[in-house]
Amino acid sequence: MMRRGVSVIVSSCGIDLSPSLMRAVGSEVSADGQRITVFLSRQQSARLLQDVARSGRVAVVFSEPHSHRSVQVKSDRARVREATADDASGLQRYLQAMQGELARVGFGADFAAAMLAHRIEDVSAIEFTPGQAYDQTPGPKAGQRLGGA
Amino acid sequence: MNSCISLDDVRPCLEGVVPSMIATVAADGTPNVAYLSQVFYVDAQHVAVSFQFFNKTRQNILAHPRATVLLLHPVTAQFYRLHLRYLRTETGGPVFERMKALLAGIASHAGMADVFVLQGSDIYEVLEVEPVPGAAQPALPGRCGMLGALRRTSSRLAQAVSLDSALDTLLRCLQEDLGIGHAMVLILDPNTQRLYTVASCGYATSGVGSEIALGDGVIGVAARERVPVRIMHMASAYLYGHAVRLGMADRGLVPVDATEIPYPGLAAPHSQLAVPLISCGRTLGVLFVESPEDLRFGFEDEDLLVMLGGQLAAAIDLMREEPESPVPGEGQTVQPGALSSTGPRLRVRHYEANNSIFLNDDYLIKGVAGAILWKLLREHQRSGRCDYSNRELRLDPDLGLPDVSDNLEARLLLLARRLQEQGRGLSIEKSGRGRFRLCVAARLELVSTPD
Repeated sequence: MMRRGVSVIVSSCGIDLSPSLMRAVGSEVSADGQRITVFLSRQQSARLLQDVARSGRVAVVFSEPHSHRSVQVKSDRARVREATADDASGLQRYLQAMQGELARVGFGADFAAAMLAHRIEDVSAIEFTPGQAYDQTPGPKAGQRLGGA
Repeated sequence: MNSCISLDDVRPCLEGVVPSMIATVAADGTPNVAYLSQVFYVDAQHVAVSFQFFNKTRQNILAHPRATVLLLHPVTAQFYRLHLRYLRTETGGPVFERMKALLAGIASHAGMADVFVLQGSDIYEVLEVEPVPGAAQPALPGRCGMLGALRRTSSRLAQAVSLDSALDTLLRCLQEDLGIGHAMVLILDPNTQRLYTVASCGYATSGVGSEIALGDGVIGVAARERVPVRIMHMASAYLYGHAVRLGMADRGLVPVDATEIPYPGLAAPHSQLAVPLISCGRTLGVLFVESPEDLRFGFEDEDLLVMLGGQLAAAIDLMREEPESPVPGEGQTVQPGALSSTGPRLRVRHYEANNSIFLNDDYLIKGVAGAILWKLLREHQRSGRCDYSNRELRLDPDLGLPDVSDNLEARLLLLARRLQEQGRGLSIEKSGRGRFRLCVAARLELVSTPD
C-alpha cells in the first residue's frame, strides 16, 4: 500500500516537545520496505525539517484516502538531505498516483496539484529505516503494533 | 494568538470535508500522527477533538498538552497549522452533544457507526493559526447574497403583527429566498417538556400538533442543550422516526396512541440543522430545517438561521405580551343564531384525563389547547358567546396554564391550525390584538368522559 499513491503525513518534535507537522509532496519505499524516503517542501516545513535534523525523530502516516486504511512508521535515526534532479520523476509519478486516488473521493486533478505543489530546488528528503510500524486505520485497533516490522 | 489570521478565517477547513491530522509528542520526545475525521469549531479561540479511544494521541496530550493540527482548505488546497494546548475533556453539555450528533452522522456515512462512540470532547485552546505557504487555488466567491437574504427575511419578519404571520413569513422566506424547502417551527411546552409543531413547510402533511420529547433527535437535543445542531451526513440514530420506533420497541410495540399526530419530517433526510429559539435566556422552541441532499447546510447557513431564530424568538416573546385592543361590550358578543346553530351535526367528545378532544371520533387536540377549546365550546353552548381575550384565558384557573411564562399565543395558534385542518365547521380566528373569536358552523353535541 505504501508504494501506491497514498497520503503521507510527517511529524517530528521540537526541543520544547512541541510537535511539528506537514504533508509530504511525495514518498518512495524501497522494494524490501527497509528504506523510506519522504519529500517535503522546505518553505512549508522549515520547523519540521529542523526538528528531524536535530533529533532524528520522525513519525509518518501513510493513508489510503478512499478506505482510510493507514499505517504509521517511526524512526529516531532519520536523516535529512536535499532533493536532487533525480528525485523529480518520482515526485511526478507520486502526483499522478495521488490525482488518481483523490479523484476517487471527489477531488479534481487541480486540487491535488495545488496540494502537492513544490519546486524541486525547494524540496528536502527525509530518509529512514522504520524502527516501529503501527496499524493506524481508524477504529479500536488504531495504534496496534504491526508484527515483523 | 497571531493577529493576522483567526480561527474564523479557517472555518471552511473545519467542516469535515477533508480529514485533518493531529501531531502530538510522547514524554520521551517520540512524535505521533493521527487522522481526525473533524476538528470542531467551539468559538474563536477554541476547537474540540473527539475522544473515541484511549489511543496514543490521548496518552500524549495527557502527559504533555501541546498538539499541532494540519488543516487543508477543501477548495483552495491551502494548508494551515493550528498550534494547540489541550485544556480539558468534556463528557456532557452543549459541545459534547453537538459533536456526538455530528460524529454519528460522519460515522454512519463512513459505515463505522458501531466503531465510533464519543467518550468525550477534548477542548483545546488555539495558540496560533499558521498559514502554510503554498500554491493555493483561488477561493470560490463567497456564497452570494447570504447577507442580503438575511436582511430581506429580517425586514419581512419585522413587519409581522401576529405569531401566525411571523411563522408563515419566515417559512416562506426560507423557501423563496434561501432555497430551504423543508422546515418546521416547534414550541416548547415547559410543563410536559415536549416540543409541539406549530408551523411547517414542504411536507406531505403539516404535522401541526405533532410532538417531540426534549432530548429526542436533532430537534430535541438542540432544545435541551440550547445549541444549534447541524448534521451534514444523516445518521439513523438522530432520525426522529427512528427514535419513535425505538421508543415503541421499548414499550413492547404497543399500537400508536390515538392522540399522536404523525411527525411530518422527511423519511430519508441527508442534512439537518436545528436552531434553538432563545429569548431573554429562555428556550421557547426550535427552528428546524432539513434536506434530502448531503452537505446542504454549512456554517454560514447555521450563522444565518441562528440570527433569524433570535429574531423570531424575540418576536414570539413580544407577541405574547401584546396588550388587548379595546372592544366595546367585551365578553358580550353573541354569534347571531348561535344558540340554534345550523349546519351538520358534530359530536365533540372531551376526555378529562388528558383534555383530549375528538370530533366525530377523530382526534383533534389535547393538553392545554384541548382544555381551552372545551371551555370555549361549553361557554358557546351555554350563552352563545364567541369573543374572548387572551388575558381572561390566562387568568382562568380551570385551564391550569402553567404560569405567566406559558406561551398561550402559541397554544391558540396550534389550536387554530388544527381546527383549520380538522375542524369540521369549527374555527378560531384572531379578532384583534390579544383577542380571538370562536366560529361555529355546526350543530354541536358535547360529550364529556372522565377518562
